[in-house]
Amino acid sequence: MEWRILIRWGAIASPLVLLAVFLVYPVVAVLFEGLVFGPGTSFIDAISSMVTQTVLSFTFAQAIVSTILVVIIGLPGAFLLARLRIRGKSLLRASLIVPFVLPPIVVVVGFLRVFGEYGILDSVLMTMTGASESILNLANGVVGIVLAHTFYNIPLVIVMVSSALERLDPEIEETAEILGATSLQKFRYIILPHIRASLLAASILTFLFCFMSFPIVLALGEGRFMTLEVRIWNAFRTFDFGEASSLAVIQILITLALAYSYIKLGRIEEGNVRTATIKTLAFDEISLKWRICTIGYLVLFVVLVAGPIIAIAQAAVYNPFSNQYTLEGFTNLLDPGTGGGLLPLVNSLLYAVLATLLAVVLGIPLAYLHRTRQKGLPTLASAMTLLPLGVSAITVAYGLMRIIAVPLGLTTNPWVLIVIAQTLIGLPFSARAIEISLRNIDPEVLEQAESLGASQLQRLFYIELPLLAPGILAGGVFAFAMAIGEMSATLFIALEQNTTLAVVIYQYLGVRRMVDAGAAAFVLVAICFIAFLAIEKLSGETSGGAL
Amino acid sequence: MLSLQSKLFISVCNITVLYNTDIRMVVSVMSEYPERRDPRTVVAAVAIVAIIAVASIVIITFRPPSEKPTLVVYTYDSFMQWGDDPDTIFELAFGPFEERFDCIVRIERLQTDANGIISRLGTEQSNPVADVVIGIDNILILQSGVTDLLTAYEPSNIDVVNSTFIDALDPNHYIVPFDFGLVTLIYKNNSLEMFPEFNNLTFADLTDPALAGGLVTQNPHFSSPGLAFLLTEIAVHEKLLHVNWTDWWIAVNEYIDVQPGWSEAWSVWYDTPSKHIMNSYGTDGAYSVYFYGGEPETGIAPIYYDGDYYAWMQVEGMGLVKNGPNPELAELFIDYCLNETVQSLIATNQWMFPVRSGVVLDPAFEYALHPSEVSLLNEILARPEIAANLTSWLDTYDEIRIT
Repeated sequence: MEWRILIRWGAIASPLVLLAVFLVYPVVAVLFEGLVFGPGTSFIDAISSMVTQTVLSFTFAQAIVSTILVVIIGLPGAFLLARLRIRGKSLLRASLIVPFVLPPIVVVVGFLRVFGEYGILDSVLMTMTGASESILNLANGVVGIVLAHTFYNIPLVIVMVSSALERLDPEIEETAEILGATSLQKFRYIILPHIRASLLAASILTFLFCFMSFPIVLALGEGRFMTLEVRIWNAFRTFDFGEASSLAVIQILITLALAYSYIKLGRIEEGNVRTATIKTLAFDEISLKWRICTIGYLVLFVVLVAGPIIAIAQAAVYNPFSNQYTLEGFTNLLDPGTGGGLLPLVNSLLYAVLATLLAVVLGIPLAYLHRTRQKGLPTLASAMTLLPLGVSAITVAYGLMRIIAVPLGLTTNPWVLIVIAQTLIGLPFSARAIEISLRNIDPEVLEQAESLGASQLQRLFYIELPLLAPGILAGGVFAFAMAIGEMSATLFIALEQNTTLAVVIYQYLGVRRMVDAGAAAFVLVAICFIAFLAIEKLSGETSGGAL
Repeated sequence: MLSLQSKLFISVCNITVLYNTDIRMVVSVMSEYPERRDPRTVVAAVAIVAIIAVASIVIITFRPPSEKPTLVVYTYDSFMQWGDDPDTIFELAFGPFEERFDCIVRIERLQTDANGIISRLGTEQSNPVADVVIGIDNILILQSGVTDLLTAYEPSNIDVVNSTFIDALDPNHYIVPFDFGLVTLIYKNNSLEMFPEFNNLTFADLTDPALAGGLVTQNPHFSSPGLAFLLTEIAVHEKLLHVNWTDWWIAVNEYIDVQPGWSEAWSVWYDTPSKHIMNSYGTDGAYSVYFYGGEPETGIAPIYYDGDYYAWMQVEGMGLVKNGPNPELAELFIDYCLNETVQSLIATNQWMFPVRSGVVLDPAFEYALHPSEVSLLNEILARPEIAANLTSWLDTYDEIRIT
């Protein structure tokens, strides 16, 4: 009996131990070393430098503007998704998650194709005005960064807010209507208070992602517009460990504050359950005015959100410089030689599969930790789960290299590190999805099993895990998408033999191998999309709940 | 007050709700009792996937263990990659060394520039993997902390290298010259008609928005030619024109296109008709003639001042990594790199000049800019001055760029 308890606690504590060893320890050690021993800029010099202040204000400013845009554009979408009765809604909901799990660098590819120089919008304008050179480029500088962030995070608001709306008891609204409330009053006094928590949570997450943004800013910022994360990367790359550590500390303090408020909001929401009926309307039941608004909105939505994804398909076969269609991008992916895409493709799949398995295996005990009645443990578990979202991937990668890999001599073939970094990035998503499934298990079922004489293992394997299966699958797919799209840490760690598709896409874009970048991006999108469809089929539930 | 009708309506709704919930419960209860599957199959399947994945990674990256010592050389990603056959160039250059000293030479082209190599060496300082590093140039060596990562070494055959290069690179021998080149502006020949000033180009000409907007250069933080361009600009303004160097950057800041590295800059410049001029190397014309024949498509525009042309000389060096695993072999390797075998391959694979005296160059090099044709800016902007000011120059540059 003693042994069993020990094993049980060991299993449950293992993710915390691993997170402590592979995340907390390396990051803390590296930051400490950088701040105290350098080499490079001291903390005081780093924070008083004008460049740091400009970068910090830009990081905040772009994140705030992006978040506001995301909320403005996302809210109507959330209402439509919750209230409009349409066929294939669950498929629509599933595809809405796609932009969010797309690797950022893939977003850049689609984005450049639609909004960039000689992109689709540009070409349309060029034909209209008869110009021979590019006239419109929305895919660079501040505009490009904000637009790309908006595209990226709109689905967050739509999915999170619409699921809150679906939990709103229609009776309350009907009662208000009967009592003579106008639409505006209804929105102000009933709907808004109801969706407030989820809207805030979605906004905080959006802000957090924009605040930490790396590949998008790196690719579109032209070196003039930098987030803290880009600056940290610059500092590590140029051997200024003092500045890198100083900036990383500032970044962590800010993200921890945000993450803390996110957890707090998550608590408030927990009590709510989805109501059995949802008030929905068919398209022809709404008034003409709103129908026009709806169509207008959908057009904007298609251009901004669906456009870049569809454009990736075109970017995969179309060379904008020679104005020709070609399959070279795909043949490149089968090229095993130097600079070819086969090795990155194989690496991407292998690393992502391993990272997914690890994220799930660690995510299960982490989810159980959320549920323990031991005081403080659930909070610790939540904090540890969210930590990878708040610490810069570059700092994690550097910490893993310096503190774990170098002493162990792993640097000559650092694939293990890449898998660990990708696991860390997927873990918040897998743990959360599994935890939500765990919440829905009826404790009585477990008690019955126990009273019928099932052993702990039997209970785990025959009852709990099968009941958790949808959550595990959804979490696995999220973790997979995060892992296969991970670029920052991999870019930092990988030697030539370890490069992944996300990294080579960035490199191809740099030297304008647009078709090769497009084809690689297309393959990544296809892989993620297939994984999501598979989940819809297997679990019969919407995976959006995992957010 | 609610009318009776609406009360009725609400209760009907309630019934519908209850009814629907019941159905849902039945459905969900049924789906919650799936077929009883043996958990061992699932666990086994997961284990098999994991084993296959690990095994494939190990097989892909497997290197047969060898009795021979392995010498690891860190360099940047484009090292010797611009020749007829980049796949076999290392065999050609370093195969004889492997044979003679019965070892394996592993050239690790890191996916980064020279700065990134330094950063990597710094990361691995406590347990170095590399023995030799190639690609640290005469500016990078002046950055603080770099010499802490290296062991000074003077090769036995150093006399084959003209002392100008040693003095320009590192008189303290932390790094030994490997190759050199002239960093200068280049233009497309078909732009010359529009901009005849390319023949005698000054920085003042480049402040014209039409020209500034057509100029592509590289980020001085991540690219050695980019940093050389910054120093060219500083040397010309501070030492020849005696004006504040920041004025020019402020003037062109809105228009100039600064790419992260040389490859990025080249592809933007090459693909965009409105980009006329680029910061690159004086050997680009020779490259074009060697591979495509005829006359070069590009012209060279070194900076003109008072009857003279000026360019920055970049000397790239190689050094011993401090506490590297095979110090003796590493020293032999550095000696070997100054031999005819390696030095004669530099011109047409690296498109730089060999530092060894007397190496015969390919005829295409008659289209290259030679050191004898220009005044070297290195001579008017001395090493100690660069070492003292580099960090503050870069900070000031950043301040100008991001505002």
